[in-house]
Amino acid sequence: MKTPVSVSRLPRGPDPNSRGFDPSSPRYIALCHTTGTDAVHVEEEQRLRTELRERFLRSLILMSNKEVYFSMYERVQVQAKFGASDIDILNFQVSDLQTPLGVQKEAILRCQDIISYSFDL
Amino acid sequence: MQDWCKKRPHEWHKYINQEVRVTAHDKNEYQGWVFTVDPVSGSVVLVTLHGQQSTSVRVVMGHAVRDVEVLKEGDEEIAQQLNALFMPAGSQVLTNDELKRRKEDLRLWLEKNRIPVTEEEDTLRVANVLTVSPPYGSGDCSSSNEIILARVQSLIESYPGPDKEQ
Repeated sequence: MKTPVSVSRLPRGPDPNSRGFDPSSPRYIALCHTTGTDAVHVEEEQRLRTELRERFLRSLILMSNKEVYFSMYERVQVQAKFGASDIDILNFQVSDLQTPLGVQKEAILRCQDIISYSFDL
Repeated sequence: MQDWCKKRPHEWHKYINQEVRVTAHDKNEYQGWVFTVDPVSGSVVLVTLHGQQSTSVRVVMGHAVRDVEVLKEGDEEIAQQLNALFMPAGSQVLTNDELKRRKEDLRLWLEKNRIPVTEEEDTLRVANVLTVSPPYGSGDCSSSNEIILARVQSLIESYPGPDKEQ
């Protein structure tokens, strides 16, 4: 009897009821907890966070549809055309992923497996 | 350096426009100018400027950062170069006067084409079913009526410009 082919599942999508900005959500608590209780400090920290995040999102925009080289763990190097990222920077959607086993037309890379990635402008 | 990901935004912000050497978990060292550090993942965006020919961007994921060493402080010129790479000059910022003028020009153009339009603070309200927000381009219209939306958008796109009006 042939062994059944394992089905690969897409990662679970974001909670459809909130965008993660709910202050009591685990994501918010894990990522966005602020130190300093007074309004001035919180506002300043939010301002810096916004600037950092906006710049990072722009780097993602610049990367879209470009050939990106990923260095993963276990000395694995792959390249692919970058499509999109999810909001938490946990998964990258890529096309034409060149792997040692062949070219995957569409794939999702787990960011936890990536050490660094690079692309040319 | 322990817990790169646990740093506060103001600590990450200090690295912007500095030349750093990042040591990653694979023992590799990456050098470049810091454009930003993502506050969600702690990922460091490094830019290597090779002059006009080649510029490359390398991002080290936050969870893979072992050490970050500052090599050089960047100056205004570096900051401008980095900004120009990621934030193209095409996106202009209009002053209040320019916005007012654009709104007025558009309002007159719509009235000339017999479209009823009223002003509501910063937005223009067209036939009570469509609003045009600053900077009053064809992409700044919003309406629940598809037909009127298409008509007004094409009208805005065909606007000849203030010079021809006089």
